[in-house]
Amino acid sequence: MRNKELNRDRVSFFLITLPALVLYSFFYIYSVALGFYYSMTNWDGLSKAFDFVGFSNYGKLLTNKAFFSSVSITFRYAALMVLCTIIISVLLAVSLNSIRTFKTFIKSVFFFPAMISSVAVALIWDQIFIRALPSLASALGVQTISSPLGDKTNALYAVLFVNLWQSLALPTVIFIAGIQSIPDELYESSVIDGASMFQQFRYVTLPYLVPTISINTILTLKAGITSFDYAKALTNGGPARSTMLIGIKIYTDAFGDTPKFNIANTESVILFLIIAVLSLVQLSISSRSGVNKA
Amino acid sequence: MINDRREKVFWHSLRNTLLLLGMVLVLFPMILVVTNSFKTLEEASKSFFAFPQSVNLDNLRELLNSQNYFRYVGNSLMVTAVSMLAVVLFIPLVSYAIARNMQRRYYRFLYIYIMLGLFIPSQIILLPIVKLMSRLNMLNSWGLILLYITFSLTRGVFLFVNYIHSLPIEIEEAAHIDGCTVLQTYFHIVIHLIQPMVSTLVIMDVLWYWNDFQLPLFLLNRSREMWTLPLFQYNFKTEYSFDYPMAFTAYLVSLLPVLVVYCFSQKFIINGLTAGAIKS
Repeated sequence: MRNKELNRDRVSFFLITLPALVLYSFFYIYSVALGFYYSMTNWDGLSKAFDFVGFSNYGKLLTNKAFFSSVSITFRYAALMVLCTIIISVLLAVSLNSIRTFKTFIKSVFFFPAMISSVAVALIWDQIFIRALPSLASALGVQTISSPLGDKTNALYAVLFVNLWQSLALPTVIFIAGIQSIPDELYESSVIDGASMFQQFRYVTLPYLVPTISINTILTLKAGITSFDYAKALTNGGPARSTMLIGIKIYTDAFGDTPKFNIANTESVILFLIIAVLSLVQLSISSRSGVNKA
Repeated sequence: MINDRREKVFWHSLRNTLLLLGMVLVLFPMILVVTNSFKTLEEASKSFFAFPQSVNLDNLRELLNSQNYFRYVGNSLMVTAVSMLAVVLFIPLVSYAIARNMQRRYYRFLYIYIMLGLFIPSQIILLPIVKLMSRLNMLNSWGLILLYITFSLTRGVFLFVNYIHSLPIEIEEAAHIDGCTVLQTYFHIVIHLIQPMVSTLVIMDVLWYWNDFQLPLFLLNRSREMWTLPLFQYNFKTEYSFDYPMAFTAYLVSLLPVLVVYCFSQKFIINGLTAGAIKS
């Protein structure tokens, strides 16, 4: 009797996991395998027949200037994004956590950008760059400023600004959670020891936030390297390819006017490898530092 | 002591300046969107910053009269609601099975297998999936829904397995002794204990499905009648390139459902996300 019940339970547990196993294997693992496979063919994405060409697409990309420029733009973008995100959202979290009046209202204001669609955010800022900057300039009596999106030295930073405007909310919430998990006694004893507010931040808050900083770094790094929506809606890679992030390049290569589906897949495999390596490095660094291990 | 107070005043005023600046930066674009949506194109081009001379609802009327707009709203609602329902039914249950059988090899494997998704950028899956879905004749809302369910697995299972681990197992064991089956135990007991995490999941995933741009762009951009709202917003730029008061009106109306959800669940959003973050 007891055995029969145990078996029945085992079977139901297994059946419960089955749809997840099937869906995940089919759409995730099979697709990734398919992506690897396409990266070793000469398929443009449209023709009926194609051949297996081994690693020659990888060889081609290693000597391709446009690809390397995309990679370097993407790294610059992701590095700046991580830097700005960590600094600004730590400051915001510490500030938001310490206020007493209108706390909920002010927190909600800062969370608000996370509610809007990225496309709407991008197009609203696009209009502000086009319409508001010139009138702001003329009101201040300075030289006319045109939209930074049309200028190849500034476009990437303008895209990053719009991206940050929306994406800071979530890391800030995670940092607030991190700060709230710091034991109060530590602050109390630091006050007794005569620590100033800055010293409290430097010697109590910050060390305790190291694990949270590494979570946010991984999440932001991945978001930065795969960033797509803002550049797609704002500049589509222009002007003069100055915002051709790797995500945009993959999309353009796969579905553009002259499709190179095999090359696009090769690029995404390389992107996958970059992310895997960076995540592993980051994980091994963060498991060696921080209060939890010290 | 006086130094202390002076330091406090200094940091507090720095903090308040920072917060004020941030709030202006967040609210300023939104105020411009609201004021300009009440203007005619002519009025808006004369002055982008001025308050509208009258409350002109023509943009709103025109938007609501266009049949396509409702089709896009309907598509977005359908995709978001069906995906969310499936995910809420499905992910906690799978996580329950994994969390309570971690000692078995299959479930440990399944957990790690699903966590691999954390390292996989969307691009590498999306390209082959577009070809796969087109072969299966699934470049439509149903295909999109299936993908949302699958792509929600990694984060959802991660949050729930850890959460269920932290729950006491004794009640379930008692139910088991009383003869409850796995599903009975789940639907009578576990489901009530995981409510906080369910609301976190709903908020994060509803925001994602409703606002997502990349997946619909890859899957649905070619067939107009299947567009979701973000695709409509994206294509708006090219179609009505100069009528930005109209575009702003469209953004505002798309924002309304989210705003309603936000007002009702604001407590859950920040507290829930906080709870989720601590667990992770």
